Order: sequence, then structure tokens, then C-alpha cells
Amino acid sequence: MANQSGSVYGLTILSPIIDDQKAVPSHDLQIRKYLAELPVGVDSPFALAPGTHLARLVVMDDVIYVGMPACEEHLKSKYLVFESNCDGDLESYLAGLAKTVPHHLDAIWGHCVGYPGARDVDAFIGYMKACQIETTFYFAAVNDKSVLQTLRALQTQRAVADFISEHQGHDPAHLQQEFTGFMQKLDSTPAPRPGAGNIERDIKTGGRNE
Amino acid sequence: MSKLNPTDIQGFALRGYNLPLARYVFLHMSSADRARKLTGRLLGKITTGQRWDKAKPQSTLNIAFTHKGLASFELPDATLLSFPVEFQQGMKDRGGILGDTGLNSFEHWDEIWLSGRVHAWVGIHAQSPSALADCYADLLQQIQETEGAEVVGYQDASAIKINGDFTPKEHFGFTDGFGNPDYLGVERRSQPGQGKLTPEGAWAPLATGELLLGYADEAGELPVAPIPHIFAANGTFMVYRKLHQNVATFRQRLDEWGAAYSGGKEKLAAKMVGRWRDGTPIELAPDRQDPVLVQDPQRNTNFTYGSDAGGTKCPMGSHVRRVHPRDAFGFNGRLINRRRITRRGMPYGTYVPEGEPVSDQDDRGVAFMVLNASISRQFEFVQQQWIDYGNDQKLGNDKDPLMGNHGGRGRFVVQGDEDPANPPFICSKLPNFVELRGGDYFFLPSITALGMIALGIVDPR
Repeated sequence: MANQSGSVYGLTILSPIIDDQKAVPSHDLQIRKYLAELPVGVDSPFALAPGTHLARLVVMDDVIYVGMPACEEHLKSKYLVFESNCDGDLESYLAGLAKTVPHHLDAIWGHCVGYPGARDVDAFIGYMKACQIETTFYFAAVNDKSVLQTLRALQTQRAVADFISEHQGHDPAHLQQEFTGFMQKLDSTPAPRPGAGNIERDIKTGGRNE
Repeated sequence: MSKLNPTDIQGFALRGYNLPLARYVFLHMSSADRARKLTGRLLGKITTGQRWDKAKPQSTLNIAFTHKGLASFELPDATLLSFPVEFQQGMKDRGGILGDTGLNSFEHWDEIWLSGRVHAWVGIHAQSPSALADCYADLLQQIQETEGAEVVGYQDASAIKINGDFTPKEHFGFTDGFGNPDYLGVERRSQPGQGKLTPEGAWAPLATGELLLGYADEAGELPVAPIPHIFAANGTFMVYRKLHQNVATFRQRLDEWGAAYSGGKEKLAAKMVGRWRDGTPIELAPDRQDPVLVQDPQRNTNFTYGSDAGGTKCPMGSHVRRVHPRDAFGFNGRLINRRRITRRGMPYGTYVPEGEPVSDQDDRGVAFMVLNASISRQFEFVQQQWIDYGNDQKLGNDKDPLMGNHGGRGRFVVQGDEDPANPPFICSKLPNFVELRGGDYFFLPSITALGMIALGIVDPR
């Protein structure tokens, strides 16, 4: 199944945006405004709700004519594109979003045609599935691990690297003793929250000046 | 295939002169008329890419301009504004993108780069001190007679002399200058490992448009270039970076780590760079340097990382594997063909042999220059993603051990195996071994374009 790669689900949803000449600003601009101010890091709706590896929300106005030899085509509507690489079962993922961040969903999808709201979880799931199209291409950096497993693995990698750099060259008995203590501490440390633990990088990337 | 006219291309773009002495002179120009006159005087003296059939000249002369420098000639706005954004901004304003922060931020740069007064770079390379002095004296005379510019300052540089002979060493003690890329149409003694990988695993030259404007690049497109076409063609962009080297800190940390690493200090040094001090690629000679291999042009740049996916021979984070990953990202190396840069560089400051007292405060390092068709796609990408980040190498936030802007928080992982002489090892709390002391982005025009500047006939229509 093209939507599934191992335990990871590739979700693609295109929701038509309401076309109302009288709306000022237009519904698509209102979505853009809300998305531009959407929290990131631990407060991101996709960090608060369970199961998202990577998500992207894009307002697609139309397909752009790039000149010959392309042919000129247009969309019937403006669309909100939602792409997500998420854990496992689609319905429980969507239900998780509806239960955890309904106000964000309503503020965004409220500008889309036929959106029933997130309060009625079944109706929300039904709507999202009706707007779904098949995903054929995945974000390559997501491997066959759940979000929790991935966060755990990164935490372990960092901790083990620190342990090694502090203990390399110690005698075996001392090393074993330290390692046992280290493992106990690591096991009892909770996994970091999604969106947390990002090391601050003093480099500008992905900006409009690149 | 691109057919090049080497007499229209500045020689510095096509080849490293391999001359032992250099002076990089920085000019400020305040009158368009007089600056044009000076350019006209220098036009016939510029060293082109024409072959030296007889012998090397005593000295060479090349010239390049910042965006402000081009503006000082009062070129048409339509031409000035057609240059790529990063060149118009200049290196200082690109600090955020380059990660030139902390110790590398402009507050720590030499005064000359803070004023914004550098308009031109004039590169003199020479065989001897007297040849250098003669060439410089002639430049000064042209400047004086035309009043076309003011010398804001200059940087002297010299190949490092050991036991009375010039060597290709840099101050940390490594042999430098291996493996610039080959380009289609550029006549050069080429060797395997210097171009791009073919699907069959052979090496072929890169598209000319990765180096020179006006030719197809690896995507089959013309690189972004100023208008008119004739003003851009056969020109290239040059990045100048004065890289200070903290030799004392480097030696001290290498001693500390080397004492704890059972492979020994020299092997650890080789793991950091990816080459032993004499230049032998560690990928080909993981246990010791090999004087025969390193002298063999058929072998000394001819290797790939496909059979060393775990980095147990050449670490994933070593300098050479970062800046030229070859096939390390798969797809026969095709992911890197638009990220290659041509490097020129020359040490400055006094060389201090191993074991003698040395201080980080001494003025020593490398006057480092990059030539590429697109500063943002090539140099800036390499600097941002491969020097100061580790994601492509699957190393998270780790930076280049030697060049990275670590700020005391760096980490370098040496992947190892079961061989007791090749254990895994982690160097932590890396400081900046190299610090940026200034520089800028320059346009190195063709001879035709220089003539157009001198005659005042740059016309974008």
C-alpha cells in the first residue's frame, strides 16, 4: 500500500478552500496568516498531538505556468495541502489530533469547504479521509520507527556519546561500574517531548534570503 | 563540449600557479573615470589562462571586484542589480547564513573588512621576493600615475619553507592542495578523483558552468549571471577568507587526545583530516602514511567511500570526507556535483616547527580563496551544511573538526572497529582551531569584461 511504509504512514490531504469574494481578507489569506504564526517547538500542535514525525501545511493557490514546453493548467479551487509522516493507524492519528488540538484544526480547516469541525471526531475523521489522496513519496529521513522510539534513540545516542567521551580509557572494572549506573539513569530518564531537545543553531537556514 | 578561450579567462580561475610567494592587495576606488583609466593600464598586464609553454613567469597579476567596487565604476544599475543577491550583499552580511558567528563574527575581523572600503582584490603571485617587489612597484606606479585607486592594505602570503625548501604544508603540518575539480574544456593535467563520478565508477570532468559563467552547468542550465551575457561570460565569483589558525591550541589538544587514543597521535591527526600529514589518503592507507602512494597522481586522489560506509577507515566527519563526499551519499556521487568548489590558498605568517614554542596570538593562517559559478549554491552550501553541520554525514550537529565554528562545544567521532589499533574514539569540547579574520565576495571578470569596464561600455540593453 503506497500510503504505508513499514510502520510509518504517509498522509496527504487536499482540502478545497472556501472561495468567497466577499470575505476580506480572503479565506486563503486568513489560513496563511494563521499558519505564519503557528507555534513551533514543544508548543506546535503536531508536537502536542501524538504521532507526527514531520508535517507540512501549504496553501496552494494554483499550479504555476512555467513557460514552454509546459502546458497551461489550473486548479478548480485553492487548496490547503496537509502532508504528514505519522505513526501507524490513520484513524487513531486523526482522532489524536482532533482530541488534542481541536482549536488549531478549526482555526485552519474552518476556512475549507465542508469542514465539520473537530468536536465531532467521527465526522472529522470522515472529512479528512474524504479529502485524502494517495501518497507516493516519503520524507526520506523517517525510518521504520515510531516517534517515541526515534526520540528515545536520539536521546540515547547523545547520552552514550557523552558517556564515552568522559570515560574512554578508564580501566574495565571502573568502566563497568560507571556504565551500570549510567544505564540505570538513562532507563529512568523520560524520553524528551516531541519538539524539545533541539540544540540551538546559530545559523540561518531555509530563510527567504537563501 | 564547452570550447574555452583561455586568453579571455583570468589564469587564476583556471589554475593554481604553484608560485611560492603572494601579495593580495586591496584597493578602494573613488573616481569612476580614474578607476577606469587604471583598469585600462592593468588590462594588458593581467595573467590569462594561456598556457606557459616555455617557463613560468616571474610573477602573475589578477584582479577582482566587490559589488561596491563594480558600483564605483558607475556601471549601469541594470547590470549591478542583475548580480546574484549574495554577491550584492557581500560576505559580512551573509554571516548568518555562513554561520560566521561567535569567534568568527565580524567584530573579530581585521579593521580593513569593517570599513566597507575594499573595492578590488589584486592578486600578485611570484617566484621570488624581488619579482614580487617589482610587480607591486609597477602596480603602485600605475595607481599613482592614474590616481585610479588607493591601497587600503595588503596581505602577504608564502608557501611554508622547511629546511630551506618551499613545501605545500599548512601551519597545522598537513600537506595541502590536493584534488581541485576538473572542468570540461579546461586544459589541465588531470588525475582520477578530481572531477565527478560516472555511473561506471570512472572520473569525468565537471560541467564548465560549475566554474565559469556563460556555460552550461551540471543541471544543463546557465548559472545565474549579470547582464549583458558578454560581461559575465568567462568570469567567475571568488570568495576570499582570511583564516587564522590557532596552532598552539591545535597541538595541545592533539597531544591530549593522542595520548588517550590507542591508534596514536599521528593517526588521530590523520582521522581528523582524512589524510596523513604527508597527504596520504587515510581511506587508501588506513595504518600509516605511504610516500610512494602520495606521490602517485593516479592514486592520491583516486578513492571512494563506498566500501567504508561506517567510516572506520576515513571517519564520516573528517575534513576531506565532508568537503568532498565523493560517493558517500550514494547515487554515484550525483548529489554533490553541484556543490564542488575550486580552492586556492596560501599560508601567511611564520611557520613554527612541531615542538617549538608557539602562540595562538601570532598572526598566522591561510589566505583562503574559492572560485565557483554560484557562491550561494556552492561555497555557502558547503560552508553551512558540510563544514558547520553534520546532517548529510549522519552526524547530527557535529561540525568539521578542523574548520568548524565549535565555540568549545564541538565533538568529533572517530568510528572504529575491533582492531585494537583502530578503536572508536570521541574528541569532545572542541574549540575553534580556525577563526575567520575577514574577507569578502568578489567577481573575477573575463579579459573582455575588464576591457568593457575600462572603456566604460558595459551596456545591459
